[in-house]
Amino acid sequence: MTNVSGYFFAQLKRALKLAPAQFLADFLICVCAGVLVYLLVAQGAAEAGGTKYRIGMVGDLSDSYLGFGIAALQEMDDSRFMIELVGMPEEEAEDALARGELYAVMRVPDDLMEAVVSGENDSLITYTAAEGQRGLGTMVMGEITEIASTLVTSSQSAIFAMQRVLLDRGRGEELGRATDRLNLSLINLVLSRSGFGEVEILGYADGLSMELYYFCSAFLLFLLLSGLLNCAFFVRRSTALTQFLKARGVGASCQIAGEYLAYLCLVCMGLISLSLPVALLLERGMFGIPEWEGMGAYPFWGFLRTLLPVIFMFAALQFFLFEAAEGIVNGILLQFLCGIGMGYLAGYFYPAAFFPERMQTVGGILPAGAAARYVEEGLSGHARAASLVAVFAYFTLFFALAVLARKKRIGRE
Amino acid sequence: MRISVGVGVKGIKKAYKGKPVLIDATFAANPGKCVGIVGSNGSGKSTLLSILAGVRKADGGDFLCEDVDLLRCPGMIPRVIGYVPQGEPLMEELTAWDNLCMCCDKRAVKKSLSDGALRLLGVDGFLKVPVRHMSGGMKKRLSIGCSVVSNPKILLLDEPSAALDPVCKENIRRYLEAYKREGGIVVMATHDAQDLELCDDCYILKDGILQAYSYDGDFHKLAEALM
Repeated sequence: MTNVSGYFFAQLKRALKLAPAQFLADFLICVCAGVLVYLLVAQGAAEAGGTKYRIGMVGDLSDSYLGFGIAALQEMDDSRFMIELVGMPEEEAEDALARGELYAVMRVPDDLMEAVVSGENDSLITYTAAEGQRGLGTMVMGEITEIASTLVTSSQSAIFAMQRVLLDRGRGEELGRATDRLNLSLINLVLSRSGFGEVEILGYADGLSMELYYFCSAFLLFLLLSGLLNCAFFVRRSTALTQFLKARGVGASCQIAGEYLAYLCLVCMGLISLSLPVALLLERGMFGIPEWEGMGAYPFWGFLRTLLPVIFMFAALQFFLFEAAEGIVNGILLQFLCGIGMGYLAGYFYPAAFFPERMQTVGGILPAGAAARYVEEGLSGHARAASLVAVFAYFTLFFALAVLARKKRIGRE
Repeated sequence: MRISVGVGVKGIKKAYKGKPVLIDATFAANPGKCVGIVGSNGSGKSTLLSILAGVRKADGGDFLCEDVDLLRCPGMIPRVIGYVPQGEPLMEELTAWDNLCMCCDKRAVKKSLSDGALRLLGVDGFLKVPVRHMSGGMKKRLSIGCSVVSNPKILLLDEPSAALDPVCKENIRRYLEAYKREGGIVVMATHDAQDLELCDDCYILKDGILQAYSYDGDFHKLAEALM
């Protein structure tokens, strides 16, 4: 009489024989995925770097202080990655604006410097955008122009006032050095404007940083698609063996239990093989996850513990899909479609918060969404029993469905 | 002697989606005897054997062995019956030894290899060979070995000689003769004339009805009876 443990150990032996090839597949796929992601990110960054708002500057740019300010903005300020200031004649700028080659035109009035020298603030730089540009960007640019204009006129007024005071007091020899110092102070004031306000980042899904969110999503996606990596486990399964086992007293539920446990071991071995290099990289601070900064790989082991119920559930899901599908090819296709579809809706590729509300609701109900919610809650320290119950409910459902599918297969001719 | 009294199959019924496959299938077998069930493809031979092995459920009928109806006590079946399905019930990645150990404890396997059924089947010659590297004959002998390693009283074989070479057929035939001599009961579904020579009783399964047939070695006459 065959017993469940005997069958489990036979399946485990089988899984161990398959493991080296599976690890190699895991490694190659992870390397390929890593290279692909790196190239995509690099390409995206390059494209983003190449996409600048071209702003034409027209009018009297001859003043050395104004030229110095523009040069400072173009060479030293963070805005250089986003905005390109191009000096050009007014007509040419208007034509370029009409053709869409310029995003906007900043007009420096001819009497700007005279107005500044005389301490007047009436003559400001004006900003002209193309018709139809009524978006947030245009509004922000308008505001920036106004601020820049005020800063330029105010700072220039301050410089000239300071120069006049020094000359009146007979300290002309200090003029150059004092002007430089005031200029630098004003430039510092402009360039360090990021300190003007406090930026609060809410984060994604229970307040996780973008880095931790994607780190967590990458692991969940790996687990969700591990059925594809471990598909060799489901190849060459014979109906004769299931019937033989049934005759030996090992029913459908015991067969599934024995096979499932062995499969679970294979999935865990794959996860460990992936986790070791990840832990090494975390120790070296390669991922830049703010929540785990300075803690090395320690929080990662806690993260893996949190993943355990999800591993059980995803393995049961994969088991059910392969059991329900007719043949290995159909099984692989089913795994792929379910994995990608559910992963997308659950926010493994883009944060779910970006999706419409209905999609978010559907994504949250799906097994992948339930898993993501449970893990994210665990990581943010807001773990709820309901999320864990949902994961175990799905696990039970998939296990039961796999048993039913096996019963059907045993009864087949 | 493996068994003191014979077995009786009485009025087994089975229908798939309302279409009857077995209608009151009845036969008996005494210890040391072999029963052959012949029928065209899809006639219900495999269904009958799988019902007797406890794999499928019958719609009605009894399978009596030592005054116990095995169909109502399915827990008894693994202790009494060895079942060899039509395909190979083996794990391709594992060796013959691993497959045998899945079916029985190691001591029983070792004993059978030294002086029992596995030695007679010649399984000891390819114990360390992975199943995927075995020939069809080796796989069939190992399949039978997996079923008989626990010394069952009744052996159910579904087309044991299909697609095997004469040497392998002879090897299996010799083992089955030895099994019979020890008092075991063999019930086999077959299309093979050589297999039928081993049978003490022959039954034809046609249109769901199982009827006795006196096989005299004339295979053409048997084929006509099946038409």
